[in-house]
Amino acid sequence: MRTWVSVARYHLVRPAIFVGMPWAIMAFSFVVNLIIFRLVPPSSHAVQTGHGVVQVMNTSHYTGAVAIIYVFFFIMGVFGTGASLPFGLALGVSRRSYYTGTALLAVALAAADGLALTVLQAIERATGGWGEDLHFFRVPYLLDGPWYLTWLTSFVGLALLFVYGMWFGIVYRRWNIAGNVSFIAAQVTVLLAVALLITWVHGWTGVGHFFTALSAAGLTGLLAALTAALLAGGYATVRRVTV
Amino acid sequence: MTPAISVTGLTRGYRGHIALDRVTFDIEPGSITGLLGRNGAGKTTLLRILAGQEFPSAGQVHVFGASPAENDQVLRRMVLIREDQVYPDIKVRHALAAASWCYPGWSAELASRLLADFALPPDRPVKKLSRGMRSALGIVIGLAARAELTLFDEPYAGLDAVARQTFYDALLADYAEHPRTILLSTHLIDEAAGLFERVIVIDRGRIVLAAAADDLRGVAMTVSGPVLAVDDFTAGHQVWERRQIASQASVVMVGPLDEDDWARARSLRLDLEPLTLQQLVVHAAAQPAPDMTDESVMERTSA
Amino acid sequence: MREMAGLDEGTPLFAQLAGRLAEEIAAGGLAEGERVPSTNELAAYYRINPATAAKGINVLIDEGLLEKRRGIGMFVAAGARRLLLDERRRLFAERYVEPLVDEAARLGIGTDELAGLIRAASQARASHVEAGDIQASHVEEGITL
Repeated sequence: MRTWVSVARYHLVRPAIFVGMPWAIMAFSFVVNLIIFRLVPPSSHAVQTGHGVVQVMNTSHYTGAVAIIYVFFFIMGVFGTGASLPFGLALGVSRRSYYTGTALLAVALAAADGLALTVLQAIERATGGWGEDLHFFRVPYLLDGPWYLTWLTSFVGLALLFVYGMWFGIVYRRWNIAGNVSFIAAQVTVLLAVALLITWVHGWTGVGHFFTALSAAGLTGLLAALTAALLAGGYATVRRVTV
Repeated sequence: MTPAISVTGLTRGYRGHIALDRVTFDIEPGSITGLLGRNGAGKTTLLRILAGQEFPSAGQVHVFGASPAENDQVLRRMVLIREDQVYPDIKVRHALAAASWCYPGWSAELASRLLADFALPPDRPVKKLSRGMRSALGIVIGLAARAELTLFDEPYAGLDAVARQTFYDALLADYAEHPRTILLSTHLIDEAAGLFERVIVIDRGRIVLAAAADDLRGVAMTVSGPVLAVDDFTAGHQVWERRQIASQASVVMVGPLDEDDWARARSLRLDLEPLTLQQLVVHAAAQPAPDMTDESVMERTSA
Repeated sequence: MREMAGLDEGTPLFAQLAGRLAEEIAAGGLAEGERVPSTNELAAYYRINPATAAKGINVLIDEGLLEKRRGIGMFVAAGARRLLLDERRRLFAERYVEPLVDEAARLGIGTDELAGLIRAASQARASHVEAGDIQASHVEEGITL
């Protein structure tokens, strides 16, 4: 227990990496989006009404730029093992404890940052899209519902990417770049095999139905299961890593 | 007393290369032991296995009575300082802070004193440090941690002679105040010779020598002088090396010698020079299968 | 071996340390009843392991040259100098006289000539001492040759 806390503190010894940067990048992305949508003249689309075709202005601006923080969580995961593992082990910590401590940090960060995203989403809704009808923190279907679901989905999404990054970092430590390449190749192969299997059993319509019927909550559950699987994979790989 | 380290039949092989071959030894708590040998002899592999950073292929390793691999209880009581330590993108003071949280015996006072002694800038990113400064950082961490078992793997890469002396002095001073078990691997033997109570020499993965440092001093000497006199004097003793030019010869001979021998050497007008620890290690490593374990050395020196 | 001047690499360090301290006592640098530096101080000064320094001190204690006063430290024992000088006198013949006679014989210097050389050297020393170039030894008895 005490070891896990030491590991978490070790990661946070330079707050810039795990705390400061995600939000600095988010802020930058947000400001860029805001400026762009201020400057770009609104487009319009045709709408059929009772009085004939009418041109309606597209006042709502949707941007998926919030994805940037998810990408950054992946990068933090890679850093948290790829770069920080050697010195971490030098501090008298077992591989198991290092992994667990780092994973717990991931959970804490995902929960905290997920909450922040939820709060910002609420503010966005309240201010009518920051006065510009900008949908930055609201993403259709995924992050547009009640606050607790938004928090849960963000939390799982962020954690998923961090844990995925951790596994990449460990593979790098154990087998270097060649290892990472093989790792990606293996994943692609697995996906390809699954796709071939589904094609073979003519199951694409079934798959399609499954996903269209899936609610945001259901998808979150699926992602949580995937996160658990990635956690297990990373753990298995870290057991024999040498630095 | 339970040994601090107890290794039995330790073997570590890589593809086509045996790094450690049935290594067996004990280290008592509260001592400074020198781990000596050439580059590639197996010193680093041994230290990394002791610290749980590498895994043995065969054999048993016990630190404080238990296997160190993946064992948090044991690992937090020891520290391994390597010259090739990889750090993340943090500054010197971050590295020290992290170490202070992980080692219960950490001394902030000693750390800041050593930081000044080595002129290490606390705000510089570790990745931007010169090789010598990186080594100095490792030394600061290793000493300030005051870990019960402190392992140093040639920690002085890039340090000049003055800085190395600072290290030896700091090590001795803190060891005197806060005794612990220290294992220091080095190939700069004569510099550090005064530190060691015991010495273990490894060559090509095998232990070729394990004895108290003081027992080894004077155990072998170089006998020089006229050829006939030298051969007469060294007859019956084990000879490690023989060199000759014209009518002069120089022979490295294993002793020990008593007062009579010295008197005889004087009368034969021979020059006797005891082998330094470094020279002894070089010769021991070069022997095919020397028997230089404690028992045989004790027999030889208990004259 | 105990009369080595400095710490060398070829003989046990604890013996060398004991030798140096004994030398200091014999020469009068460390007076009887005076405190001897602690093990840690000696270890730091000579840059050797404290255990080695302790071993050297113990040798001198065993020989009756030092005594330990519990809680205070290590002190030069009463009569230590006497002990040391007596031992050296005993060994004087073996250590110095015999090699001298040996070498003289080798060079063909007869006993009378040898005695003459000794007398000359002794007189030279006396005049140096008078001139203040050499410090007289602390030995109390006068010497006449």
